[in-house]
Amino acid sequence: MDFITSLFPWITNGPLVTVQVMSGLSVGMFLFLVSVGMSLIFGVTRIVNLAHGSFYMVGAYLMVTMVEILPDRSWAFWIALLVAPLGVAALGGVIEVGLLRLIYRRDPLMQLILTFGLILVISTLVLLAWGPDNKSVARPEALAGSVRILGQPFPSYYLLVLGLSPLVAVGLWLIFYRTRWGMLIRAATVDREMLGALGVDVAALYTQVFVFGSWLAGFGGALAAPTVAVALGMDADVLTTAFVVVVIGGLGSFAGSFISALLVGELQSFGILIFPAVSIVLLFALMAVVLIVRPWGLLGRPEE
Amino acid sequence: MRWVSVLSALLALTAAGGPAAAQGKPIRIGEINSYSGLATVYTFPYKEGLLMATKEINDAGGVLGRPIEFIFRDDKLKPDEAVKAARELVGQEKVDFLAGCISSGVGLAISAYAKEAKTLYFATHCQTSRLTWDDGHRYIAHTTNNVNQYTRALAKKASTFPYKKWAHISPDYEYGHNVWDEFSSYLKQLKPDVQFVQQNWPKLGETDHSAYVTALLQSGADAFLSSVWGAQEIAFVKQGKPFGLFDKLHFVSASVGNPDELDPLGKEAPVGAVTPGFAWYDEAMQKRHPKLAEWVKRYEERAKKEPTLGASWGYASAYIIAEAIKRAKSADTDKVITALGEGYEMDFPWGKVIMRGCDQQAIPPQWVGVVKMNAKGKPVLADVEEVHGKEVVRSCDEVAKLRAVAAEKKK
Amino acid sequence: MLSARWLGLLAAGLGLAPLVLPPFFLQLLTEIAIVGLFATAFNLLMGFGGMVSFGHAAYFALGAYAAALLVRRAGVPMLLALPVAPLAAAAGALLFGFFIVRLTHTYFAMLSLAFAQIVFTVIFKWKSLTGGDDGLLDVWPPAFLKSPVAYYYFALAVVALCLLALRAIVESPFGYALTAVRENPRRARFIGINVRRHQLLAFVVSGAFSGMAGGLFAFYNGSVFPDFAYFTKSFEPLVVALLGGAQSFLGPLAGAFGFKILEWLISRQWPVYWPLFLGAIVIAVVVALPQGFVGLVGARAWTRSAGRR
Repeated sequence: MDFITSLFPWITNGPLVTVQVMSGLSVGMFLFLVSVGMSLIFGVTRIVNLAHGSFYMVGAYLMVTMVEILPDRSWAFWIALLVAPLGVAALGGVIEVGLLRLIYRRDPLMQLILTFGLILVISTLVLLAWGPDNKSVARPEALAGSVRILGQPFPSYYLLVLGLSPLVAVGLWLIFYRTRWGMLIRAATVDREMLGALGVDVAALYTQVFVFGSWLAGFGGALAAPTVAVALGMDADVLTTAFVVVVIGGLGSFAGSFISALLVGELQSFGILIFPAVSIVLLFALMAVVLIVRPWGLLGRPEE
Repeated sequence: MRWVSVLSALLALTAAGGPAAAQGKPIRIGEINSYSGLATVYTFPYKEGLLMATKEINDAGGVLGRPIEFIFRDDKLKPDEAVKAARELVGQEKVDFLAGCISSGVGLAISAYAKEAKTLYFATHCQTSRLTWDDGHRYIAHTTNNVNQYTRALAKKASTFPYKKWAHISPDYEYGHNVWDEFSSYLKQLKPDVQFVQQNWPKLGETDHSAYVTALLQSGADAFLSSVWGAQEIAFVKQGKPFGLFDKLHFVSASVGNPDELDPLGKEAPVGAVTPGFAWYDEAMQKRHPKLAEWVKRYEERAKKEPTLGASWGYASAYIIAEAIKRAKSADTDKVITALGEGYEMDFPWGKVIMRGCDQQAIPPQWVGVVKMNAKGKPVLADVEEVHGKEVVRSCDEVAKLRAVAAEKKK
Repeated sequence: MLSARWLGLLAAGLGLAPLVLPPFFLQLLTEIAIVGLFATAFNLLMGFGGMVSFGHAAYFALGAYAAALLVRRAGVPMLLALPVAPLAAAAGALLFGFFIVRLTHTYFAMLSLAFAQIVFTVIFKWKSLTGGDDGLLDVWPPAFLKSPVAYYYFALAVVALCLLALRAIVESPFGYALTAVRENPRRARFIGINVRRHQLLAFVVSGAFSGMAGGLFAFYNGSVFPDFAYFTKSFEPLVVALLGGAQSFLGPLAGAFGFKILEWLISRQWPVYWPLFLGAIVIAVVVALPQGFVGLVGARAWTRSAGRR
């Protein structure tokens, strides 16, 4: 015990550990928002959407633009947060109808390559549209400072994330388990052909799912914008992390994504304090351990 | 025929009027840099500066009566792509010289190729001191300052503070280690009673620094150095501020004073941070360097944007290369290397740059200032102090020792 | 499989190339050959074995670093160091593959990615041995192989030998067993094929030849860097093999040729915005050519039903 406290003198500091845990939760919530869209799209369409990180990035950039063009009032931020993801959803819709529909019958790997091509195209379009400079979104006045939790400062903006994300999670759960549309989605994850045979317009369902998943990615990007720099290269960072979170949780499992996101968030929070030398690889090491022990991720379903 | 002679007379007149624009076979320089992706925030202004200087040089008659011409290739931030581009430029395009780099790995890879191909390579934007020191050789010159110089200038300023306990946060790769080693060793040299109480090595490109912010707040340090840069430092500052990090510890940063970080941060900028930067707008700077304001105006007319440190680097690089060729009185590689070996000095709108002969390394002036909000509520660098790189740079003897140590390791 | 006549023409063309092509193009062809080997080795696993890996850069890098380290740190001559590359890679493939082949589909891919990132981290952090992100420089072939023409012939010869070996493996009883495993693992198990062992063996063979490609690349490039193991490098054989046509043996080679030439032309024409054009072309190829480049010449597919559904 003494050995541990000498290595990590802060570990007995209750308030500090609490704040760290909460930080980890906020990070986890962000990750959940970004990952669940990817999990959803994969679950229904079986497409691994590599452009998911690009959608996140576009959401953040649109947030920058919205905040710039709206007047400098307190409500501007919230309007921007509402509108920016819609832009990304529209982009997702265009891509789905214009491109992905053409290749649904193809080898899933070819579809993967197509989304890889999308990454290249979207990132260059972002450079063309917004230029090379780093951008930033300021936190809204009301949430710019910090609150005291057990005497320790905790950024107020993270409280927003901690508040919104469970709402989103609950909202998603309600959609999936309490609406007809959600039921169709769950059915599609299990057996698309049967669903089509039963008369459901599966193509339209695919589009709707893709648009919804894109919206989630854009919302994640817009929400994250005030806490990071909005810059080129965001897409690659988020893609790897989101993909890892989804796989650890189990592809297509909504609850899996949630648990996995929290796990990863806490790992980032504490891991870099405990294993500083290998911070580069912590995430992948976790994934390796999980997959060796549970070959389908934490809550994934064995595939046919 | 009469009209032919009239025509030739007219041509002769136009050719004779005004300074002769450069004619003759162009001197071609293959420039390899990161022109796509996230490095563009730095390389776009750099290229503007480079091309601005190129135009000036060519309008004034070029080098030895020949225009200089840069041929650009993207290295995709990958050392092996840079080598491929270098091969094409030297083997296929038959350029006279190579130039460029922003990533240190790329610079080192091109340097190794240049040595093999016996082509002179002018490293420009990349900063590692290994280029001309540990891994230096006659086929590489470095036209901008290196990590050693600006980090030591920063450490010199840091040693004037009463702080004894220092921590740091640096990205876990060559550059981060280089900066911390230089800063900590020089600080210790100037102020032997300093203690280094904590090390933080986030991965390059980390997006969430809250654990590091917590660690720093717990470290017991009075001040800390950050060599995190660019988008990562913007994220770090935004994440650290609500925790009150910059109120509790004095913030010293290797790069936050640059506009690519200060401008997006805006009102969230870390006021009071001590950092180097190209503060061309500073009144004292402009008084000390009377030609600076006019240079800035010309740059802004051309680029439609304010200049950055990188823009000054691009501008200086073109002139330094041109000067080396002028002094050699030839574009022949060996003759230019000899000219470089003799060393020379050039005056720029921001001060004197020394091209040192023993290592073919540029030594420009260094500036360290404090982040403040200007009258318009925009964060800028103020109280800028200037120290010339020659005051802090490692001596030729030290460089020789470094090269000997590196050569030993290679055996 | 292309007819012997076409292959003969190809061999003749490649052999006589140095007479017509300037040195840089020979270097480009050398790189294409190496990437083609990497992609073919990768495709043994993917197109032929039905297992997609996102972490093959690990074996490429293990090969490259093994050879480079022997030359730089132990003074071993290149011709002795190069054969160690596939061995080192095979060792890594055996170690990691043991865990990876127990998974399937995306999980298989992601675990392979995780191991590759671990390899990257080890290379990156073990600075005293590998040079970290400064890389290992001055890794050149011996004088008689250094010229573009000489290394071109050398690399081509090694690649050709490796491809012949891979072809022999594909046509061997082991190869047929692997096909059976790909088509229907359960049935293969019922007829007595040890599925796991066959998959692991395929993984090791694929890794070994990837390592050979890595070793060849180290001496071609003159330096090795940790980003040889980074996941973006893992995507190269994947994209190249798929674009070329994963259901045919020569598909990846065609893909290497087409993709590398395209990439080179596009990025020298548009140094800043090349990803836009390259991405657009990738998308266009996927949409227009379901079988990849080889679909243009109608090469016979390995699988009866091209593509997996």
